[in-house]
Amino acid sequence: MATSLIRKQKRTNALIWGWTAFVLVIVYLPILCGALASFNKSRYFGFPIKTFSTDWWDKTLASFEIGMIVKTSILIALVVTVLSVVIATFGALAFARYDWTGRRLYQKLIILPIFFPQPVLGLALLLGFNAVGIQTSWMTAAFAHLVWIVPVVTLVIAIQVYGFDPALEEAAYDLGCSRIQVFREVTLPLLWPGIWSGMLFAFLLSWSNFPLSLYTAGADSTIPKWLYAKMVAGYTPMVPALGTMATLGAAVLLLGGGLVGLLARRRRPA
Amino acid sequence: MLQTMTAPAAEAQPRPILQLVGVRKTFGRFAAVESIDLDVREGEFLTIVGPSGSGKTTLLRMLAGMDTPSEGYITLRGELINDMPANRRPTCLVFQSLALFPHKSVGENITFPLKVKGVSAAARKARALELMKVVRLPPDYFDKNVMKCSGGERQRVALARAFAYDPQVLFFDEPLSALDYKLKKALEKELKDLHRETGKTFIYITHSLEEAMVMSDRIGVMRAGRLVQVGTPEEIYGAPVDRFVSEFVGEVNTIKVKRDGEEWRGVDVDGRFTLRPPADGAALGEAFVVVRPEYMRFLKEGDTADNRLTGTVYNEYSLGSRIQYQIRVGEKVMLVELSRARALPPGSDPVVTIGWDAADAFTLAG
Repeated sequence: MATSLIRKQKRTNALIWGWTAFVLVIVYLPILCGALASFNKSRYFGFPIKTFSTDWWDKTLASFEIGMIVKTSILIALVVTVLSVVIATFGALAFARYDWTGRRLYQKLIILPIFFPQPVLGLALLLGFNAVGIQTSWMTAAFAHLVWIVPVVTLVIAIQVYGFDPALEEAAYDLGCSRIQVFREVTLPLLWPGIWSGMLFAFLLSWSNFPLSLYTAGADSTIPKWLYAKMVAGYTPMVPALGTMATLGAAVLLLGGGLVGLLARRRRPA
Repeated sequence: MLQTMTAPAAEAQPRPILQLVGVRKTFGRFAAVESIDLDVREGEFLTIVGPSGSGKTTLLRMLAGMDTPSEGYITLRGELINDMPANRRPTCLVFQSLALFPHKSVGENITFPLKVKGVSAAARKARALELMKVVRLPPDYFDKNVMKCSGGERQRVALARAFAYDPQVLFFDEPLSALDYKLKKALEKELKDLHRETGKTFIYITHSLEEAMVMSDRIGVMRAGRLVQVGTPEEIYGAPVDRFVSEFVGEVNTIKVKRDGEEWRGVDVDGRFTLRPPADGAALGEAFVVVRPEYMRFLKEGDTADNRLTGTVYNEYSLGSRIQYQIRVGEKVMLVELSRARALPPGSDPVVTIGWDAADAFTLAG
């Protein structure tokens, strides 16, 4: 009886581990393949790799063109992060805290863009920019990213707003705070974890966005757009090299962001 | 025993600290609070009780400055404060949820109102430690995470924070409702002690009359947006103005009676009754005799009582130190409550005679 139970438990554990390993392989193997491809000395990709080298990484890092593209990607992502967090914070407060006519409609309308097919949204925005005579550039791309990312960040921050008792703001006000002091002393610190995740979301979603950038960045290029262009014509192992770098950059940002969040929580009184 | 308490008329009433005149609050067409007049005395512990939805929270929010009356006046020491926002009122509300700032330590919570006022860090800490002593929190809690405090400790932090604001009036929105019974009982007594020690005016709202009885100097009973009765706990219990109040403040036996010449005859039970005249002295054709179960007693051969009924015991409940009997009298069920020491002996005859004196009952208009 006891041995059969133990055997059953062992089998369950084995299945859990097997499944976890399977999922991890499916998710991370392609990224690993990309990384391997970038270390291939030969210009064309094929397994098994005969000679490893870091030549393509060196070339990628040295390329002026890629430097410009990375700068554009970072610029767009930073602009999107700052603007979307500001818009989303107040949007989330309006949406989750205050009751006003049309609130429910607003809640639905603001979520909707998340589900638009992005190529269609990109095309629609491009047509819109053309119609009003705006030259597409990194700025229009940032605008397009905002259309899609603000709703996501609003949702992320709204969860935090729902999570705290409105009486806290009332209590601060009752204890003599001005509206601004209430926001600074209570609302902002309590929303901070949500704002912080919202910032990471905004940056990473913009950083990796391809369809919107393709349509709306005009002559400017971002990392995903450049990767696509080079895949269509002129492949070199710089494509997987830059792709791997972009992925690593995102991973570092995510881990760093998580660590900052963890340290902030630790700093609270014991 | 149950005589109407008459306040000594000669005693000079202190000037009311808070005065409400015709205060009304409507939300759309719904009136949450209907025309309330109330004088709150300096330094008193006033509790507003009422069932949920009676408007007591709305009333409190208007007093605290979180809602504005639709009509009427609220004055604090003679100054009209209808539109004075909460952050400028010298009053403080202890919320039902306590609303302690989870991202701040115990000390930071308590010193918060001082920080807002611009008091120096050293002075803030000194004051916080004083207040922690008043509310019986150990000084090493100053740096403790407020979310790691127990329910009772959090109550104390919330109180200390409110005292740090140095309000002229403190409001309480059922802050004890989430605690377990024993802790609640202990904190009720502590709150009453704190009230006496600090001499501040406390206005407390609750749906629990028991809580109100323990702590208050005066109790106001609310129903459907109106203050039905305001008085000392003894007045509310002993001389309720109507059936709602009489039933809200505890279990009662109510007998409908009709005037029959000089006598009163029972409508739903057989018998003739001697009544104490109703408080308003109106000549009534119909009335309700209301007797609390603890003023009923079993009558033995030869015992005298102004009123008596015969019935059958069909149930008994233990209430801890007391026992409650349910006695069927005709179609009605009457309640008799006794201390355990005076319980009916086991195996005694279920047919009993119960009785009460007119002075122990009260009469309400039909």
